[in-house]
Amino acid sequence: MPYGWIGQILRVNLTSGTAAKEPLNMKWAAEYLGGRGLGTRYLYEEMDPTVDALSPENPLIFATGPLTGTYAPTGGRYMVICKSPLTDAVACSNSGGYWGPELKFAGYDMVILEGRSPKPVYIWVNNDHVEIRDAAHVWGKNTEETEDALRAETDPQSRISGIGPAGENLNRVACVINDKSRAAGRSGVGAVMGSKNVKAIVVRGTGGISVADPLQFGALVFEAMKEINASPTTAMALRGLGTASTVGFTNTVGILPTNNFQAGQFEHADAIGGQTIANTVLKRNKGCYSCPIGCARVTETLPGSRYSGHGEGPEYETIFGLGSDCGVGDLDAVLYANYLCNLYAVDTISAGGTVATAMELAERGYIPQEDLAEVGTELEFGNADAVMRCLEMMSYPKGKFSRLLAEGGYRLAEHYGHAELFMGSKKQDFAAYDARGAKGMGLGYATSNRGACHLRGYSMAVEWFAPQEMRLDPFTTDGKAAVQVELQDKAACEDAVGICTFSAFGGVTPDKLAPMYNAATGENLSLEEWMKAGDRIWNLERLFNNKAGLSRKDDSLPPRMTREPLTNGAVQGQVVELAPMLE
Amino acid sequence: MILAHPQKCVSCHLCEGACSFQHEGAFQPAKSRIHVHDFVDEAMYVPVTCFHCKDAPCLSNCPTYAISRDPETGMVSVNDDTCIGCKMCMVACPFSVMSFHEEKNVSQNCDLCGGDPQCVKICVYDALEYTDVEPNEWMIRLNQAEQPAGAAS
Repeated sequence: MPYGWIGQILRVNLTSGTAAKEPLNMKWAAEYLGGRGLGTRYLYEEMDPTVDALSPENPLIFATGPLTGTYAPTGGRYMVICKSPLTDAVACSNSGGYWGPELKFAGYDMVILEGRSPKPVYIWVNNDHVEIRDAAHVWGKNTEETEDALRAETDPQSRISGIGPAGENLNRVACVINDKSRAAGRSGVGAVMGSKNVKAIVVRGTGGISVADPLQFGALVFEAMKEINASPTTAMALRGLGTASTVGFTNTVGILPTNNFQAGQFEHADAIGGQTIANTVLKRNKGCYSCPIGCARVTETLPGSRYSGHGEGPEYETIFGLGSDCGVGDLDAVLYANYLCNLYAVDTISAGGTVATAMELAERGYIPQEDLAEVGTELEFGNADAVMRCLEMMSYPKGKFSRLLAEGGYRLAEHYGHAELFMGSKKQDFAAYDARGAKGMGLGYATSNRGACHLRGYSMAVEWFAPQEMRLDPFTTDGKAAVQVELQDKAACEDAVGICTFSAFGGVTPDKLAPMYNAATGENLSLEEWMKAGDRIWNLERLFNNKAGLSRKDDSLPPRMTREPLTNGAVQGQVVELAPMLE
Repeated sequence: MILAHPQKCVSCHLCEGACSFQHEGAFQPAKSRIHVHDFVDEAMYVPVTCFHCKDAPCLSNCPTYAISRDPETGMVSVNDDTCIGCKMCMVACPFSVMSFHEEKNVSQNCDLCGGDPQCVKICVYDALEYTDVEPNEWMIRLNQAEQPAGAAS
């Protein structure tokens, strides 16, 4: 067994209903590190990038990295890779929880789903034993019901990754949910799973993972743990208040996107911020597998609230997507909308972005009354009921307008002739940082290979969150391209080896991560070779996109970002000057 | 003994990784001697390992006297040479923390890593504590034993 890896992948042909094990291509594993890189390498090899994303020819790849399942800090991630039905570019969605490690313990580094099953099925992986089972009884059920049902009929300790009604109904912003509330959220990977008629992959594993140099690996991990535990970002902000800790800051400087990016400050930001969550609805903190940060929140709506439920969340991105971007300032409503997204399995960022786009289209009178009648309540910013209704409509599309919602924000806005009101890049919605107040972020959104995304090159870390002496001016465009390239390569490596990008905030930077990877796998990469591997992953994704028909003109931002200045906060008067940064 | 504070646990399972890495040389939670029991819907996560009970049922039920207690430290341990793999101790343990090593065909429990328990060392949340057993701590253990039952109901 190769160190850090299991050395085996599972290939399931859904059309013929067969499953086969095959050795992992170790040459690719070394070149592309794992996860995001390795999965994309397989994708690039096995599919024609021009085929329709929802056709059987688009393989769906679940990939882990060499550090997934070890006790490397935050080493619990896996990635879902395919061609995206939302962006028509490469999709690579990353999720934590416990499913990725369990897959490795079961004896597989990757699962590749090919073809299309003639009827709904789920895949039961119990160590060596692999079975394709009928899923008629859970088809149409939400993620929680599905997980409970499938766990009851397999193993009480199994881990489950699957889709909800949104994915089944080919919603283009549907996600894959594992462990009830961890999402491989973006780019509509859930729709691809739905198109294959696969409800879930249920895994139970009792095997283990060895590393090349146990002493060295242990020493590096314990050192990194100590650092993460001492870092204010990871041990105080993220552990204390979760990602929601960011709300207060972004709102103060004026980059908390509000009402479909029409404003950068939200009057009810405090009511839906991290501190309020900690003081009211928070039940307890949680961590993913092997995580020393523990930023997840387990919450419950307040008694007597109009909306009632419990679950995990909300993350900062969710507070923006379903809260400020839709003008909703009621915490219980944001929580409930978050739980709905988890149950239906839709991406909270893109679902929120789609609803916000619809709200602006409606307010500007671009949507005819007969279409709006389907909603049943006023589609306007601040109406929480409209958000819930839209989430339900896009997950169970019946009428014309709900089918448009299920197509995502870009296609919706384009249908009504106002594509410029869609806030995103490559048809994927922006995340929760208004790029006009962090221009590197604007470049990151525009150039991201999977469409607008904050984690492909998280320049917020250097433009706003870094200590004063290391901070870059967020308003300048000078030098941002070089910084963005470096951030993109770093993030590619993190996604590839199977750790969470938050570990970098706690000091697990490439100079720490590369030696950890070396100690685990027995490779001997220098820092320079490490960054080059990140570059290689990035370029491979680009190559895929180019073959899929995308080009440089798709590295764009909507006119609101480049022409309409923000009007309040510290970022007043700023727009993104994208063209000079792209050069 | 290793004292768990379930209210501080976030269910990261790092302790299981550290334990199996120490004893098996691999990251293999299935072979860990400490386990985190997740009650997801109740938002309760309970790490459980050997309590080295004062009146240890595993010890008194072992037909070959393979389980003994260190008179100085109070630690309960299994002698690999005399254990016959009959699993009586596993049946007897009220906490189900006696596990079984299939390849060696012997029972195994927490051995406190010879005084430097890796699970405690890696737990950044201070949910695990390495402490000497004192008389009034029986109450703490009892309290812990009741918590998961209460949470599951």
